[in-house]
This record gives sequence, structure tokens and C-alpha cells, in this order.
Amino acid sequence: MNDQEFFDLALKVIAQQASEADRAELDTLVARQPELKAEFERLQADTRLAREVLPMVNATEATAPELPAWARGQLQTKVRETFGRQPAPERATESETLGALWKWRWVLGLAAATAVVTLVVLPVFTRSAPPLIQVAMLDTAGATRGSDTNAWSLLRQSWEHATIDSFTDPEALHAWETNWPAPNKRPVVKVVFDPATGEVRLLGRWKGESFGKTLPVEQNLTATLEQAQLFITQRTSR
Amino acid sequence: MDLDALTRGDGDAWDDAFRWLWPVAYAAAQAKLQPFLPNEVEDVAIQTLEELVEAVRDGKPVEELKPLAATIAHHRAVSLLRERFAKKRGAGKTESPEPVQAETGADYPDPAADSPLAAVERKELAEGLSRTLSELKPPQGAILTDFFLKGLSYEEIAQKHGVAKNSVGVYLKRGLETLRRIWGRRGES
Repeated sequence: MNDQEFFDLALKVIAQQASEADRAELDTLVARQPELKAEFERLQADTRLAREVLPMVNATEATAPELPAWARGQLQTKVRETFGRQPAPERATESETLGALWKWRWVLGLAAATAVVTLVVLPVFTRSAPPLIQVAMLDTAGATRGSDTNAWSLLRQSWEHATIDSFTDPEALHAWETNWPAPNKRPVVKVVFDPATGEVRLLGRWKGESFGKTLPVEQNLTATLEQAQLFITQRTSR
Repeated sequence: MDLDALTRGDGDAWDDAFRWLWPVAYAAAQAKLQPFLPNEVEDVAIQTLEELVEAVRDGKPVEELKPLAATIAHHRAVSLLRERFAKKRGAGKTESPEPVQAETGADYPDPAADSPLAAVERKELAEGLSRTLSELKPPQGAILTDFFLKGLSYEEIAQKHGVAKNSVGVYLKRGLETLRRIWGRRGES
């Protein structure tokens, strides 16, 4: 048996593609030529290495999935934090400085007054507003199936005050996902249930930041919706 | 990809870069996490791209961004697995004979413990991956993937790639030799 034949046989055994006869042949070979045991172990190590490296190689050629809409805002924030620069202040003249000094006295006085009012009044208004929840379901087969009616009911139970939209066209859903209400003093969260992919997507905006999460429907929709509610509570109570 | 625009923090250029790099980061994270922590794949991909923003600020050339994205995601995924499994075992231990319960409900040992590249520094990992991409000539990479990751037989690979069955083993042998040359003997436990 030449090197290549031994390699092929050993690799079949390592990849668990070998028959009983193949295994017996390999055992016989190794018993007859003990140096082949080291070669077999080296091939096992090479296999472990290949299984670790190849997914990274393949990842560099991946073209899907698309960047989720919710992630874009978070990443752009990172770009601004990393590259954003404040312009350097220009030097003021002496008269401007004196004028500014008087203005500052007024500003400081007003600031002190504002602080007093804030300390007294703020606790009354700082209870965090509940998030505005918008729910949508993608039903490309049309809203005729019993399971979808059941899903709609579960969504309604989870967010009884939310609007629930149903879409049959993914493009229309995409438009809905990217259409956000004007910034307000309460968080906004969009919940999308996609039965075809078996996932619940959460997209949110709060305090100028975007966030999101995709939850697979692994056991049942009820459990996933509970996870979704927990996630929303965690993200919007910060 | 316009590196100047990226280093100026141009939002549109970064939008293009994120769309280009997201599938890479996602796929690399998914390869490690999908069986154990599938809900963390997107988070790791996001963290990877955030780290890439800093890498560009520090002067990484555009052609290195894809391998870098894959290695950062891989590294983060392995670290996350180790952290979660250490927590589950309690007291920060990383070795335990007891199997742990995964999110999927199956018993399994620490999946990161068997990773031959877990101890490799990120810089070295990125360099190794760049070399692998340039030295693994087609169809070597595809044949290695079909055999080691997809579990196809020699016959199936020969049929798929239109090569002789006897040459499949030759491609595999040369491919493994290339990996060994680049990565050394990392797979040896």
C-alpha cells in the first residue's frame, strides 16, 4: 500500500465513512507498521485543524444574511464615537471675554434656579413611560390558516394595547419596519413574527439608540413571546 | 471600498462596509455558536463590526477586513463559549468531567475546549487566515469543505466537482499539507 492509499483509508476511518473491512485493514496495517500509528494521529490532528479553519475560510466568502435594519443605527453610533471630532474653539477677544463673563453670571443664576425646580418637580415626572409597541406578522400564504389565527391571538395576548398589522408582502413589511414614529419621550419597539423562518424579530429605538434581537421559535411561540417581552423590558427600562 | 472615506468616518461609506462585512462576521460566529448559543450569533457579529471600526481607525488596510472580520468573530465566539461554560460549571472552572446542559437541551462537553486555535492570538489568527485564503487554490478549499464539513464521500465529491475519484484524495492530501504548513501542528492535542 502506498502513501496515498494509506491516506485515503485513514481519512475514511477518521471521517467515519469506513466499512468494517476498511477498519480491519487499517488495524492490520498499523499492527504491521507501528510508525503508521503516528501518521494516523497526525491526520486526526489535521482533521481537527481543518474543521476549525475551514468555517472561517468559508465565512470570508459569505454574502448572506443581510445586515439587519436595527444593527445599522448601533454601528453608525460606533462610527461617530470612533471618528467624530469636536471643532477646536476659536480664541475670543478681551471685550468678548468680559461680555461673556456677564452672560455667564446670568446663565449660572438661571442654572441654579433650574436645578432647584428640577429637584422638586423631577420625581413626579420621571416614571419611565411604557414603550410604544408595534406588532406585525408576515403571512405570505395569506391569513387563512388556523395556525396564523392562533399566532395572531398569542400576539394580541402578549401586547393587548399594541396595533397588530399583518403583511403578505415582505416588501411592505420591510417598509413598515423602517418607518419609525418621530422621536418621543418613550421607547418604540417593533415586534415582527415571521412564521416561515420561525423567528420573532425585535427592533427598538430608545434614547437615540437602536437595538434589536432575533429570537428563534424553538419550542412554542408563547415561550418565545415571553422572551421577547423580557428583552423589551430589559432594554427599555435602562 | 474607499478607505479614505472610512477613516473620515463617512456614514455612507460605513453603511457599504457594514453590508459587505456583516455576512462574514455572521457566518464565522454562526459556525461556532449555532449548535450551542444560537441566540448570541447576531450579538457577536455586531460586536465584531464595532471592533472592525476601531481596526480601520488604527490603519488596517481594506483587503484585510474580511479575514479580520472572520477571525474576530471566531475569537469572540470561542471566548463566549468558554465564559458561558465556565459559568455553568460554577466557580470559574474550565475543566470538568460533568457534562453541562446546553440551551438546546443536549448534554455536551465544553465545545471551545477542543478548539485547536483557541490559544492563537487574534493577530496571528488573522495572518494565518489571510495566508490560507491565498494559498488554498481552487478547488482545494471547496473539496476540503465538502469532505470535512459536509461529510461527502469521495464519490460524491468527484461527481460534484467533475474530477476523477482517485484525485479527490490527492486534493485532500495537498490541502491538509497546506493547512499544516500555515498553521503548524495546532490540531495536535
